[in-house]
Amino acid sequence: MRSTSTVAGVALAAAAALLISACGSSSSGSTGNAGGGASAVSTGGFASPATESLSGGKRGGMLVVLNESDFEHLDPGIAYYAVDYEVVFATQRPLYSNKPNSQEPTPDMASGPAEISPDNKTVTVHLKEGVHFSPPVNREVTSEDVAYAIERGANPNVVNPYFLSYFKAIEGAPEASGGPIRGIQTPNKHTIVFHLTEPKGQIVADALVLPLSAAVPKDYAEKFDKDKPSDYANYQVATGPYMLKNNAEGKVLGIGYIPGKSATLVRNPSWKANTDYRPAYLDEIDIKIGGTNTVIGRQVLEGTNVVQNEPPAQASIRLAAEKFKSQLEIAPGAGSHYIAVNNKVGPFSNIDLRKAVWAALDRTAMNKARGGELVTNVATHFIFPTIPGFEQAGGLAGPKVDYNEHPEGDAAVAEKYIKLAGYASGKYTGGQTLEIVGSRGGPAEADAEIANQTLKNLGFTTKLTLVEPATMYSKYCGVPKEEIEVCPSVGVADDFADPQTVLNISFNGKLINPTENNNWGQVNVPAINAAMTAAESVIGTSARATAWAKIDDELVQDAAAIPFDWDKQANIEGSEVKGVGDLWDVGEWDYNYTSLK
Amino acid sequence: MSHGAAEVVSAPAAGLDFLDVGAEIAARSPWQLFWRRFRRDRVALVSLAFIAFLIVLAFGAPLVVSLLGLPGPDVQNLNLTDSFGSPLGPSSAHPFGVDPLGQDVMSRVIYGTRVSLEVAILGTAIATLIGVTIGTLAGFYRGWVDTLLARTMDVFLSIPILLLGLGIGAACAVRGCVGGVIQPGLGLIIFLIALATWPLIARIVRGLVLSLREREFIEASRALGASDLRIMFREILPNLAAPIIVYASLQIPFNILFEASLSYLGVGIRPPTPSWGQMIAAATPIFNTAWWYMVFPGAALLATVLAFNLLGDGLRDALNPRGA
Amino acid sequence: MTGYIIRRLLWGVALLVIVCALTFVVFRIFPTGNPALMRAGRDPTPRLVAEIERVLGLGKPLTVQFWDYLKNVFLHFDLGYSYYSGESVRSLIAERLPATISLTVGAAVLWTLGGLGIGILSALRRHSLLDRAAMGTALVLVSAPEFWLGLVALFLFAEDIGKWKIFPGAGSYVPITSDPWKWFTSLIMPWFVLASGAAAVFARLTRGSLIETMEEDYIRTARAKGLPERQVVRQGVRSAFNPIVTLLGLEIGTLLGGALLIEVVFNIPGVGKLAYSALLQSDFSVIQGTVLLAAMFVIVANIVVDIAYAYLDPRVRYS
Repeated sequence: MRSTSTVAGVALAAAAALLISACGSSSSGSTGNAGGGASAVSTGGFASPATESLSGGKRGGMLVVLNESDFEHLDPGIAYYAVDYEVVFATQRPLYSNKPNSQEPTPDMASGPAEISPDNKTVTVHLKEGVHFSPPVNREVTSEDVAYAIERGANPNVVNPYFLSYFKAIEGAPEASGGPIRGIQTPNKHTIVFHLTEPKGQIVADALVLPLSAAVPKDYAEKFDKDKPSDYANYQVATGPYMLKNNAEGKVLGIGYIPGKSATLVRNPSWKANTDYRPAYLDEIDIKIGGTNTVIGRQVLEGTNVVQNEPPAQASIRLAAEKFKSQLEIAPGAGSHYIAVNNKVGPFSNIDLRKAVWAALDRTAMNKARGGELVTNVATHFIFPTIPGFEQAGGLAGPKVDYNEHPEGDAAVAEKYIKLAGYASGKYTGGQTLEIVGSRGGPAEADAEIANQTLKNLGFTTKLTLVEPATMYSKYCGVPKEEIEVCPSVGVADDFADPQTVLNISFNGKLINPTENNNWGQVNVPAINAAMTAAESVIGTSARATAWAKIDDELVQDAAAIPFDWDKQANIEGSEVKGVGDLWDVGEWDYNYTSLK
Repeated sequence: MSHGAAEVVSAPAAGLDFLDVGAEIAARSPWQLFWRRFRRDRVALVSLAFIAFLIVLAFGAPLVVSLLGLPGPDVQNLNLTDSFGSPLGPSSAHPFGVDPLGQDVMSRVIYGTRVSLEVAILGTAIATLIGVTIGTLAGFYRGWVDTLLARTMDVFLSIPILLLGLGIGAACAVRGCVGGVIQPGLGLIIFLIALATWPLIARIVRGLVLSLREREFIEASRALGASDLRIMFREILPNLAAPIIVYASLQIPFNILFEASLSYLGVGIRPPTPSWGQMIAAATPIFNTAWWYMVFPGAALLATVLAFNLLGDGLRDALNPRGA
Repeated sequence: MTGYIIRRLLWGVALLVIVCALTFVVFRIFPTGNPALMRAGRDPTPRLVAEIERVLGLGKPLTVQFWDYLKNVFLHFDLGYSYYSGESVRSLIAERLPATISLTVGAAVLWTLGGLGIGILSALRRHSLLDRAAMGTALVLVSAPEFWLGLVALFLFAEDIGKWKIFPGAGSYVPITSDPWKWFTSLIMPWFVLASGAAAVFARLTRGSLIETMEEDYIRTARAKGLPERQVVRQGVRSAFNPIVTLLGLEIGTLLGGALLIEVVFNIPGVGKLAYSALLQSDFSVIQGTVLLAAMFVIVANIVVDIAYAYLDPRVRYS
């Protein structure tokens, strides 16, 4: 999943994301299990998703949401950004989903845990009965609808970003292009069975928390999926407690969603509370798009039934922390940021120069520019808090190597490594100019400038360009051929709480793509690649945590990239809002649990 | 435009010597007249002085900054931000406060002078050079040469310059254009200014040349066998010097604002080079907590442009006393 | 007269083609990088990039590409497709045109009336306090960047962040069809800011031009003949119009640029804001389309101005 601030990158794309729980899914009805390390991270005394109460909200009322940025994709089969999830997870019910304070999935459309065969090659899920689609479809959801939802992920008019990553093991999936997939079978209306070509049942089962598994009615959606690109998003139906407002024909565009302007969620008349664990207190959610982040912050804090559901501006966080303490929530484990340096081409193919930059970088300054201690922690390795493996990888202090010891930067150590790299003067004197592409706006821009200055102080000649985040990823940093030397504004969030989602696609040399590449540094160390492949199939939370923590340590020893920040997401609400944030969704407000006072 | 004419003024008499037949009658050249009138315009003189001050500031920025005891414009210091990362305001060590990266604002405002003046002077100079050349050729030769050149001017005047700037800025981001020759930044802005504003001067010059070429002194020159080039350089251009200076100096404020606008929109000067427009852009979202970051660069911009406008007005009034 | 109109129109069409060629060069040939990749939007999958290459005809020789592009623009009015937004550029622009028109027409009215009015008044009361104050203000307005004026206006008068909460803040624009009053109030500040720069120029120009004209011999004669002052002024104003009309033609391009800045500052969903968003997203199709459209608009406006000018001043027709 991509968070709004740490766009792209993330965990997906490649291999498995096994859950904390071991074989088969976990016990349902989990109580707030926030994963490893959450307690180590302070939330400054403010509320956090782990501490919010999930029940007792007042029913009724309208919530106003002010967002500066628009949605990326509202089609459940494509939605990938945190800003989309706020709507998708209020309107769609995947087979499994998470409660706000938990990283462990609860059966949602499913009636119980996924049944995985002993050979790990078959996954059976039984569906709840009596769940209906919203108007104008209205009829009951069947297993065929779930099958179609997953199958359309391969449709070139839909192009689900993680279909191949998680569902490739299903028979017939690699060749699929929108039609029925051999390996997905529906023996009856409430059972769906996945037949796999490899023993990856656990992975497939875990991936069923993603919105791709939310049922889509084939008879209704097929015609929209024929458009290039698919128009289903503008006519979508819902299975969750809320739906995007539509007209009698089902049209959402222009009614429930006006691009660049607004989105309106109303109660889904077909939704039945006794089939769902969600309380759904609110009657309506009115999302207004546009405006300026700082102004929105003030409007929210000074307002009553308003929230902002994207990262607030620093000024807003400060205002909240100083004057509106009860209206601020801090969620740990919102992701991490690091500087990706090109390990393949250019000066940073030399490990000593990478270590030199790590040593020289003032990580506290980078974090100051992001908003200070309230919303950041200095990163000392790659697995971030709330992800299993965090403590095993060194916790807050991290591995004890000299270039990691001083978060404010250590010029002496930096000099040492530059000399080791062959530049006797202690400063880089090679001829290459570094191309740095950072993202414009907000803290990422400041970080890019600090990184730029750090490199210049080390003797490098640099050329810094700032572009919009999406452009930075899709046209420069994510395209190996562009040979960008430094990408200082990249970030990672997790899709679910498993260390593999944080480390694999970012550092596995086997997962370097020609476009939409998430291994920005083109890190390719055969020993680490092999360790990752082995760790993919380890079973059991603590065993996986240990295995991946070891890989984390090796990445630190290799200085594959330079981590500097472990994010904490701040969210603000109005005075009359009893907001509940999602731990698993970078702390964003959950409309299913939020209520008004 | 009273060029080519001289005023007859009697020399001041001393005491009763006015009866002396040796009293001289001297003719003042247009330049002297112009300078006399200009000297009397106090506002224009103040502007000129201010601009001279800016030029000194631009050239001597490093010296000025160190004399004032300020850190350089690129010196980041995140300790100058509070626990939330908000920058600190004006203090004795930093009279204009600091920006979110801890860089000293006064220092950056001083260095920003360089960008504005470079853009203004270089860009205008190049545009003027091109404009004068083409305008003179068009007006002098008339006929098909004139038609061709005038049409070319039309083409360039048709494209809205800010949008073109945006477009080229986007097209040439990161890697540059034309195989990397045109890079975003100062060079690109100067290129854009030259490209978009030469027709303005060209048109005016063309008009002037068209009317000039019918004058008797040109005919006389031609009768004496002077070549075209000689006529252009010796007779026409000197008479154009004054209006060219006036229009060029009136164009400068526009060019400074153009660079500021482009930098505000993000396609102008690249960080960390300080540019007033870019500072204003960065300051806008944090205005409530860091007013100094917007006020000082804005004031500098306003003052500079105002000075050039006043200077241009003064020059124009000095050359053409009607309509003052 | 018809001869002149025909010649002017022909040249206008030729101009359009040339400008088309220029945008083609700037946006297809200039940039270093794959033009298809640059238009591929957020998810440049290899398949999508190949598809765009096919649509743009990148494999064909440049002349063929240009000819196709020309045909698309003039015959189908197809300005390209934005993969980023999933809409054709033409429809994106069409959606946003009303906002820009609201902004520019309102500002143009304000600037013409304001500029002319103040210019005339100042000319008539030369060197009075009114004159000095007006010209002084005009000078400051001309010297300040438009975006800065807009920001200052917001920080002083906007309901949400201003010191004196009078006018709706940035982002409150609604189409006239949905709420006329809100539409009107949300545009007041943008109108004034956008008009102020141009009005100042107009005021200065009108004043100067009128003063010059008023000193002409024929005006003196009219006065000597005993013509009432008001009629004298009217005579003078009419002749002073010439340079103003010329300036109008040139100003349109600047007006579009100014509108862009104001739309960005006040968050008005117009064509300027579209171009700016496209810039942020590196959405080449949209940028190219808007530049072309703006240029076309300038050309058409200039044709209209020239024809009007020729109508008023017969000498022009024979040039």
